[in-house]
Amino acid sequence: MSDIEPGIEFDRVWKKFQRGERHDSLRDLIPATVRRLTGRGVRRTELGHDQFWAVRDVSFEVRSGDVLGIIGRNGAGKSTILKTLTRILPPTLGRAEVRGRVGALIEIAAGFHQDLTGRENVFLQGAIMGMPKSLIRERFDDIVDFAGIAPFIDTPVKRYSSGMNARLGFAIAAHLSPDVLIIDEVLAVGDFEFQQRAFGRMKELARSGIPVVVVSHQLDRIAELCTEAILMERGEVKFAGPTSEAIERYLAVEQAPSNPDSPVVLESIRVVTAGEVRSGGVVRIVVEGRVNGERATGREIVTVALRSLENGRMLSTITTDHGEVQLPRAGAFALEFVLEMNVPAGLYGLDSSVRLKERRGDIASGPGAHLQVLEGRPFEGVVQTNAQVSLASAPEERTAPALQPTRSGTA
Amino acid sequence: MTDAAGVLVPRRQGPLGDLREVASDLRSFRELMFEFARRDIRIRYKQAVMGFGWAIFMPILIVISGVLIRVAMGQAAGAGVGHADIAGIALKGVGWAFFAGAVTFGTTVLTSNHNLISKVYFPREVLPLAAILAQTFDTGIGLLALLLLLPFLGVTVHVTLLWVPVLLALLWLLTAAVVVFLSCANLFFRDVKYIVQVVLTFGILFTPVFYEPAMMGPRGALLMWLNPLTPILEGLRLSVVQGHSLLEPLTTVTRQGVEVAAWHPASLLYTAAWALLGLFIAVVVFHRSQPAFAENV
Repeated sequence: MSDIEPGIEFDRVWKKFQRGERHDSLRDLIPATVRRLTGRGVRRTELGHDQFWAVRDVSFEVRSGDVLGIIGRNGAGKSTILKTLTRILPPTLGRAEVRGRVGALIEIAAGFHQDLTGRENVFLQGAIMGMPKSLIRERFDDIVDFAGIAPFIDTPVKRYSSGMNARLGFAIAAHLSPDVLIIDEVLAVGDFEFQQRAFGRMKELARSGIPVVVVSHQLDRIAELCTEAILMERGEVKFAGPTSEAIERYLAVEQAPSNPDSPVVLESIRVVTAGEVRSGGVVRIVVEGRVNGERATGREIVTVALRSLENGRMLSTITTDHGEVQLPRAGAFALEFVLEMNVPAGLYGLDSSVRLKERRGDIASGPGAHLQVLEGRPFEGVVQTNAQVSLASAPEERTAPALQPTRSGTA
Repeated sequence: MTDAAGVLVPRRQGPLGDLREVASDLRSFRELMFEFARRDIRIRYKQAVMGFGWAIFMPILIVISGVLIRVAMGQAAGAGVGHADIAGIALKGVGWAFFAGAVTFGTTVLTSNHNLISKVYFPREVLPLAAILAQTFDTGIGLLALLLLLPFLGVTVHVTLLWVPVLLALLWLLTAAVVVFLSCANLFFRDVKYIVQVVLTFGILFTPVFYEPAMMGPRGALLMWLNPLTPILEGLRLSVVQGHSLLEPLTTVTRQGVEVAAWHPASLLYTAAWALLGLFIAVVVFHRSQPAFAENV
């Protein structure tokens, strides 16, 4: 394989799946055969009863040094692409070519045999993943060290905790030396410390110059690892290009449109801080909008919610009410929110919305933005943004910014 | 090949191309095959109370039931059961135990490894072959035990013992054909394993393990010889116990004075044809349906 340039090529790949129950007893063989022989069977290019295209016309190419991210909602076809890449599923139509030995960082602890010891399973699993025995022997100690289960290596795997199981599984996969690397969402194994170690190893592998494909819902990981990304939607490629743009589009899809009939219409939300944002750093956000003088009651407030895009959890809500900022009676306005990003590195969403004073729930939603926070000052504890809100510009009068810091909600 | 829209339709290759692919896959995944076999053997012996005794348990049961049946038959016909008869039953019993054991484990080998098949790619052929290898190990132990026993049953060393490796190779190939085919069939049709169990339970009565084909009379013997296992098992008995050269035909005379063929050299070719043709078909069918395994397992 060494004489071939490793790479991945997907050329107009389609994959058909069967919905609902499959008949799988011998009894069903006869009618199916009769249908096929009489030419009433379903053609490859057509959909039969209860069939659907899980992947439609997907093409991409990954060369050495490329790290391609695949993002999209559940059911968008990511896993199907992954399984086609690893040769588990054949494409119905099109060509899926992977040149070189494929290493897959997927959840593999499932392949462990419960009655065998950790040591025996390392050799078995290594062989299953195509590792020569000499290589497994050479890396055995590294694998065990990485998994951190040295004292239990001669214990049957059935006595392992689920964390130990997953850690050993990842450690084996992470010590393959593949020509092509495929990474599935495996970061959710083990404790925090192990996850960090696993991600570090993944980064190392991804940057070793081999072609890499990453499938994940953890957008911050995608943003950090990938040189390019494709956004999948209902089996089709919605966007292919720079990672940040793919992520932006993915998040934009999730954004609810602003209602133009609302008393306060929010038009845009922008992160105006130049350069990168690190943990503990300050970020400035400008929200622009317009007050509909005829409908507004003067009780409207604007909120910006900070949300983790890794788990969707709402971390903090900052409102103009907290900052005691009064919106103008009518016309355009621009609000500046200043937040201390006392959050761990990751990808965050900022959602704007309109509420009524002392009421819960939004009366209108506005646009959203996202923000990547890089590793910075070590962060611990609950989220405390020490947010400040001020009216940046108003049509008639310039209001002095309300400098009183507001305490926002905690995670 | 492309369709009207220019989308590539996966092409089909000839059966010889399939064979070439299987051969190269097996070459590069040889280690995995042995690793799977080792796993199966380890698991079988790890928790079993009897340990390695397990390997001879089934052959011993077969031999005991064979001897019982022959004693009953002998009582009815007024003839005893000699040492040579017991030696023959033991030899054929081990052969049958290999076939039955390999088919039992091999039929379900794909479905019981479904978590691997749906997650990791490797040539699936290694699974049924590893199941046969594991059974080969078991049978090897059984054969060793038999080797120690045979001198006590009056079996001496003949030149015809040289036939044994040939017969065992035929048995292995025939078993491989059946196992490769059935493992694949059971993946798509889950009722196959039940059918296989029933057939194996009664199959020993349709195969000359407890008796010799000649005992069925001329017409019965002919039917018996149609079973591709018959030449292997009878060949083992004749070459080891009787010291008969398998290149020579043999006839026996029944109690009623009728001449019945007890051996014909051509029967080896008949079995070889079954084994090789069967293996060829099984491997091609298996290899062609392999891409659909993950979706159906």
